[in-house]
Order: sequence, then C-alpha cells, then structure tokens
Amino acid sequence: MHELSFHETTFEKCLKCNACTVNCPISNVSFDFGGPKHLGPELKRMMDHQEVIDDARIELCTLCGTCDASCPENVHVSTLTSYAKAIHAEENGTKFRDLILSNAELVGKLASTFAPITNMTMKVKPVRKAMQKVLGIHADRQFPTYEFSNFKRRYNKKHATTEKKVAYFTGCYATYNAPDVADSFIKVMEYNGIDVAIPEQKCCGVPMFANGQMKQGLKNAQFNTNSLLEYTRQGYDIVMTCTSCTSAFKKEYASYLKTEEAEELAQHIYDADEYLRILHEEGVLNTNFATINAKVGYYAPCHMKGQGIGNPAMDILELIPGFEIQDMAASCCGQCGTFGFKEEKYPYSLELGKGLATVVEELDADYTVTECGMCKNQLDQLTNKQVKHPMQILKTAYEKVPVTS
Amino acid sequence: MRPIIETEVVVIGGGVTGVGVLRDLTLRGIKAVLVEQRDFVHGTSSRNHGLLHSGARYAVRDEEAAIESYRENLILKKTVPGSVEATGGVFAKVPEDEDDYVAKWVKACAKVGIPTKEIPVAEAIKQEPYLNKRVQAVYHVPDGAVDPFTLAIDVAADAITRGAKVLTYSEVVAINKQGSTVSSVTVSNRYTGEKTDIHTKLVINAAGPWGSHVATLAEVPLKLINNKGLLTVMNHRINKQVINRLRMPGDADIFVPAHNVTIFGTTGRNVESPEDFSLDREELEQMLKEGEALVPGVTEMRMIRAFTGSRPLYQDTDDSDSSGRNVTRGLALLDHSTRDGLEGFITITGGKLTTFRYMAEKTVDLVCEKFGVNVACTTHEEQVAHRDAKQFFKETDIAPAAKTKLFHWAGKNAKEIETSLNNETEDKIVVCECEQITWAEIKAAMPEGRFNLTDIRRRTRLGMGPCQGTFCNQRVAALAVEKGIATQEEADWALKDAVTNRVKGMGVVATGETSKQLQMMETIYKVSLGLNEEGKSNV
Ligand SMILES: Cc1cc2nc3c(=O)[nH]c(=O)nc-3n(C[C@H](O)[C@H](O)[C@H](O)COP(=O)(O)OP(=O)(O)OC[C@H]3O[C@@H](n4cnc5c(N)ncnc54)[C@H](O)[C@@H]3O)c2cc1C
Repeated sequence: MHELSFHETTFEKCLKCNACTVNCPISNVSFDFGGPKHLGPELKRMMDHQEVIDDARIELCTLCGTCDASCPENVHVSTLTSYAKAIHAEENGTKFRDLILSNAELVGKLASTFAPITNMTMKVKPVRKAMQKVLGIHADRQFPTYEFSNFKRRYNKKHATTEKKVAYFTGCYATYNAPDVADSFIKVMEYNGIDVAIPEQKCCGVPMFANGQMKQGLKNAQFNTNSLLEYTRQGYDIVMTCTSCTSAFKKEYASYLKTEEAEELAQHIYDADEYLRILHEEGVLNTNFATINAKVGYYAPCHMKGQGIGNPAMDILELIPGFEIQDMAASCCGQCGTFGFKEEKYPYSLELGKGLATVVEELDADYTVTECGMCKNQLDQLTNKQVKHPMQILKTAYEKVPVTS
Repeated sequence: MRPIIETEVVVIGGGVTGVGVLRDLTLRGIKAVLVEQRDFVHGTSSRNHGLLHSGARYAVRDEEAAIESYRENLILKKTVPGSVEATGGVFAKVPEDEDDYVAKWVKACAKVGIPTKEIPVAEAIKQEPYLNKRVQAVYHVPDGAVDPFTLAIDVAADAITRGAKVLTYSEVVAINKQGSTVSSVTVSNRYTGEKTDIHTKLVINAAGPWGSHVATLAEVPLKLINNKGLLTVMNHRINKQVINRLRMPGDADIFVPAHNVTIFGTTGRNVESPEDFSLDREELEQMLKEGEALVPGVTEMRMIRAFTGSRPLYQDTDDSDSSGRNVTRGLALLDHSTRDGLEGFITITGGKLTTFRYMAEKTVDLVCEKFGVNVACTTHEEQVAHRDAKQFFKETDIAPAAKTKLFHWAGKNAKEIETSLNNETEDKIVVCECEQITWAEIKAAMPEGRFNLTDIRRRTRLGMGPCQGTFCNQRVAALAVEKGIATQEEADWALKDAVTNRVKGMGVVATGETSKQLQMMETIYKVSLGLNEEGKSNV
C-alpha cells in the first residue's frame, strides 16, 4: 500500500453539488485548477484501495479552506487536498524552493539572525532575479521583513501566575516578522490582568501541509499537541494571533492526526479577538479604551472565515470610541501563505488579489486591519495603505487612556 | 414479407452464457446469430456479484463446482484479462463462525488443489482496514473480480469481428417448427415492433431466468427455479481484495471490489417471474446486519444503490424446493431431442459467471457433434482483446484521474479515443465526474441503434458513481442532441428512462447522504429541467 494512503472518510458524504468549487478563490480566477471537489473528495474516492493518482494541478490549491466552509455536508475537503499535495510531493519530489518556503520557522530563525542583511537582500534587484532563477521565487514579490530582536529573544515566560491563564502560541510570523504583534498581545492581556506564558512550540505546520510536506507537518502537529496539552490540562486557555495557526489547531490537527488528544486540544484554542470577545461576554473585558478617531477597512483572512466564529476582530474593535471600521468583504487576497511567493503562481496571486486591491482603493480608509501576516504581505504589495493587526490597535487604545490619579 | 436472415445457429440471450456460446461457435467456424431482447447483460449477467470464484467457497460442499471454478478462474485471468482484476481474496473467520469448519475447509481446498495461505490477523487487518478486528483466522485465496459488463461486451465484440451477428433489442416471440424439428425463430424489435424471421438449423436457449419462457415458445417443458439475490453497491471501494466469510456458504458473506466501488451481498429467495427485480428494504436491512460480522459499521456506510438478479437453477424433477438450496448450481445442458423429442433445440442454463466459458465449450461440443463438425474448442487459450492501454495517451492533456481510467479501459478503442482527445477540445469534457468519463470515450463506445443512456452506461460506467447520473446523464443527452446523434424526443425519452431506472435502485438504500443525493437528482430533473413523468421536457 502507498505510504500516503490515509484514512479519511468524510469524502463519502460528498453530494457532488460543487459548492466548494463555486466558492473556491482559485477556481474563480482560473480554469487551470481542477477544483476542490475533483482534487479532494472525488480523487480520494477513486484512489481508496486502488492505485495512487498524482494530479499536478493540486499545486494551485492554496489550502485556504474556503471549500471546507462552503461544504453543506461537512466534507473535510482541504484535508483531502492537502493529502493530494503530499502525494504529489512524494511522487515528484519537492522543489528545493518549496522545502524552504514550507520551513517558515527555519527561515525565520536564520533570517532574523541576519535581519538587517536579509531585509536588504530581499530588496536588492539582482539578488531577487537570482532567487527567481534558482529558487523560483518571483522577483517582484515583496517579502515580509525580519526582525533581529525576534519575539523569542524578548519574552520567554514559561508560566502564568494570574487566575485566568493564557498560553500564547506565537506562530512564526509574530515571532520572526512582526514581534510587535506579539508584544501588543502581551500588553493587551496585561491590561486585562491576564498573565501570558509561552509554551514550547514549533511551526503550526500550515506551510508544510501547503507544500506537500505532510510528514513533517504531522510531526510538528504532534509536538505542539503534546506541548500545549500540558498547559490546557492545568487550566490554561491557548490563544493565537495568527488565524492560520488557530485554524490548524482547531480544524486540521483533529482532522489529520485523528487522535483524542488533538480533539481535546481543539476545545481550548482561541483566536485572540475571539478570546477577547468571550471576556466581553463574560463582562470581564477591560473596556477602558481611549478614543481613536479613524476610519478603517477590515479584511477577513480565509483561515479566519473558515473557523466559523463570525467576525470577532470587528466585534472587539467596534468597542473603541470613535473607531469606524468597515468589513471590506473581499474574497481571498491571493498571497495564500507561501503560494504567492512562487514564480509560477505569482500571476494567479496577482489576479486573485485584484478584487481586494480595488476595494481598498475605493474605500480609501485611513488604514487596513487584518489578523493575517500573509494577507498583510499582499496588501503591502498591492495597496498603499498601512496594514495593522487588531492587537496593535487595541494596545494603542489602552495606552492612550489618560492616567487619572 | 418479413425480412429473413439465414444462419446455422441462433443463440437466444445476450448474457455471458449466450455471448460465450456465440464466440465459441464462431471460433469453430459455425455461422451464428445472437438475439437479445434488450441490451447485452440485461439479465443476471449484470445483476451479480462479479466474483471470479477461486472455488474455495464450494470446496467443502461441492467438490466438482470447486474444481471447475478454480480451473476457469485461471483460464479467465489469461483469456479475458481486460475484464478481470486479479485482486486475490481472503476468507476470514469471525468468532460467531463454527471453529470446526476452518480445518475442514483448509483440507477440502487442499484436496481439490486450490491454494490457500494463512495470513496473520494483524497483517490481514493492515491489508483490509475495514475487516472486523475480531477475526480469528484469515486465509488468502486466488479469488478475483470480474467486470461482467466489459466481459460480455468484449466477448461479443470478439465474436462479431470473427463474423458472428448480434441483434439487440430483438425479442424472440416465436420458435417455429417443421414437424418435430425447429426451423426458424421470429424476433420482434423492441422499439419498432418490426418482425424478422431467422432461418436456422439449431436454436440454443441461453435465456437465463427466462429459460422456461423460451422453452414454452418451443413447446417443451422446462422447470427452472429463479432464485433472486440482493446486492448493494457501497459508495466507494472499501476493500482491496475479495472478502469472504469462512463458514458454510450463507447470505451476506461476500464483499467484492469492483473498480471504484465494493459490491456486498447476497441473499436468495425464489421468485416466479424472471422480471421480478423488486427490492425489499427489510431484506436489505437483514443482509446489512449480517454483514456487520465481516465489516463492522457496514450498516452505517453510504451505499449508492441496490439491485437484484435471479439465478436460474435447473430442477430435474418436479418436487419444488422453496429454499433453492438443494437444487444444482452446476451447469445444465439439455439436449431436447433426446429429452423431449424436439430436434434442433438445446438449453444451456445454471452455472456461474465464472464458468461461462466452460458452459459454452460443453454446449458447442454438443452442437459440433450434431453437425458432425470436428473442431476442438480453443477458448481456453484464445485471448479476447485486452483493455490495457498504457502505451496511449502520453501526450493527452486531460485530468490524471480520467487518464488512469482510460489506461485500464480504452482497450481497442484507445487509438480512436486518443486521436479525438488530442484534436477536439470538446472531446476532453469530463461528462461523468464520478467515474471520470470523457465525451471522447462516450463517442467511441456508443452502440449502434437508438440513443439509450443505459446502454452507454453499460459500456462506459456513465452514471455509475455516487451521483447516479444526476449531472452526467443530462450532459450526455444534451451533447447527443447538439451533435445530431439523437433528436430532442429521443434524448428526453432516454433521460427519463435512465433516471427512472436509477431512482429505483437508490430509493431502497436512501438514508443519509443517498437520500439527499436522490432529492437533489429529482429536484434537478423535475424542477430545474422540467422533466415530468412522461419524459417530456417542459422547457
Ligand atoms: C445475486 C447473484 C449473484 C451472483 N454472483 C455471482 C458471482 O459472484 N460469480 C459468479 O461466477 N456467478 C455469480 N452469479 C451467477 C451468474 O450471474 C449467472 O450464472 C450468469 O450471469 C447467468 O448468465 P446467463 O447468460 O445464463 O443469463 P442472463 O444473464 O440472465 O442472460 C439471459 C438473457 O436472455 C435474454 N432473453 C430472455 N428472454 C429472451 C427472449 N425471448 N428473446 C431474446 N432474449 C431473451 C435476457 O434479456 C438476458 O439478457 C450470481 C447470480 C446472482 C443472481
């Protein structure tokens, strides 16, 4: 039996209605992709106990998870497509580039060590041309910057002492590229009297799944599950500021690992805004915000939408006096994690991003808000508006409150 | 004057038995015409389990059947490779099964030369993850899966290339005699009612469960017991190899893989009419409950549809046995001249799909004897064209899944399909997504005669997947009209005919997803496409 034969039976429920394909961002901009229904449930049905079918078009799947959210039968479409990716990687070998891109953590560690140099190199044209040639990373694609003082170097508390305890799964982006987001989150929690611990953690695995590195991804998933369960079993809530990480812990881990542990952990995972909204519902959120007079556009990342938690970022930000926030209701941004970096995917990425870019331009807000670092990367490239994480805004709103004695 | 056809032998029935006889006759240089009231495999030959028996199932109870099966198993793997998947099979003993039977069975298999090999339970469960974890003993046997659709179509096609003639949708309505010798048969076209006389020296009744009726036309008595069995199609292929229960053969104890699905069954109930294809939910539930022993959870699994077929069992004497168990399942070759004093009439019935070639050999041996022809049978060696087409489609740009299907399926149509896929963009349209069938394939497999979606299904698997034709039948009907292959009326009729057919099989298994699938199909056809009961489109 093929090493990647896997037990996933939700495809059984597929009614062939094509709702996933109709909603798929890639299928909407290109016929080159076979669509999630075919490359997910349909293909799996034809492979079970039969020969493995390798379809190269799976490379165009970004694992955004819109298919999962649109399926009326709750088929785990993106689990199936991620296995199709793993099969494709196994059958064809993985490009060196994809290995690099899938290993966001390693790249982050290396790049943040040489942060100023890395950031420079990323901007230098000849270097980028070489990268495109050798690695297939598109020369025109802007990169997120790396910070030398990565978050791990700044904050490394292993235990929380307050009654409500939060263990923060920082994720690669907030650790290496945007430690300010992580700092802001710690501060926001502080304003709410909650101590934050940083558990041992590895990359959530999302970039690995997206590049067919299923085995490595599953290893990380297992590591993180074990590590975080130690916290949840002591009464910690697990909170994250990256919606892709959150989505992996809530959905993918349970669906890929199929263990009781993964299921158990999923019950304790919260997106940061979602967590604050719960505090608010419980009447314990510190709502002592300073007024921020701003008109902003909110962009909901696919991996946030896929969690089925409504729109917690807006729910919370709306509590800030003077803050006018509007949902831009745009479809997928097109960066899609590592997807938009790849030379051959770059045109699709730009095509996908057009819709969002137009909305940003038409809205002409003061700046854009989104939780996802990768969406921010695309927004930085396609629009001239600054992009902020909700935690950064909340931190400011708390800090600007005049101190009264 | 009616049209007249002259031949030496008329074979009645386009099941595996009939086409087997036709090919053997042709190979031995005897002129023959096969007549079938509908399409090939309209009868039991498409309504069975598709198990290429290794004989192991019969080893304890019926040594002769076991020997015959194993011998034919080996021959068919060689001679009709395109229709056989040498999956292998396992016999598994569950705690509920009698302990003594295992040793008895191993010994019996050894005695008749059927190779068995015990495999560790853990290994068996690794190979077959759906198998009951509580199995106590598992043996491997050389079972296989046979596709009865391609089998009959390919065997018939081979005979046709060698000069045989086939008339489908031609029902035998009269068998005419001169004195006590059969001289001709009259067939009536099912669509037009037009009649044709076929003058012949000999008629072979290979009408399966309709055998008694055909004998009545010749005015000879023939008592057959039609023993109806129920089978259900699982939504996907849950096993790699055939899974049998290691016990005295009974109901609901075999799972046979068939391409993308698994067929599970079966039961046995005697029925009056060969046309009794009725489905009983209670019988199905009982069968599924029994199936839990081998595959726990089978009751909850999604099924695509269920169907029934009747085993024509020959009964020598008149005392009827309602269980159908004590009647011979071996072949019955009846020479009505010695039996009933009617010259020129032979009945071949009973037997199995697995032994169809042998049944044909015996029948044609008798024909040769009668005709004084001295040619030996060659069907145990002469191969029917393989379906394998791996050397084609290298440059063809279609979905890998559709390509994989063609590699195993295209056979002698490969070149034609390849050319059309490489040259016409429209031909690349995957019309049936569940089974990955392109329009090119449909075009190449389309039988002559009236446009009929069910005939296309038998040749391509169109609409055999989970959606049961919800999307593909209308696509094919629309394309047929667009390409001038069918008129609007013909397409509407074909669509209605195909849908009605599918709805029946889905209805009985319609719980959970299949019931939603059925609702969706009916909504699309009745509401969106406006197909009403008469098969007329309202749009
Ligand atoms: C439930 C079930 C499961 C089975 N499973 C297996 C299995 O796993 N393995 C195995 O080896 N065997 C199996 N069998 C047995 C096997 O299917 C049959 O032995 C075999 O298909 C019989 O074929 P046939 O050609 O004799 O009959 P049929 O296939 O019934 O062919 C008779 C044909 O004659 C045509 N006909 C009837 N009347 C007329 C007329 N007046 N004019 C023209 N044409 C006419 C009919 O339309 C029909 O197509 C199974 C049988 C059943 C019922």
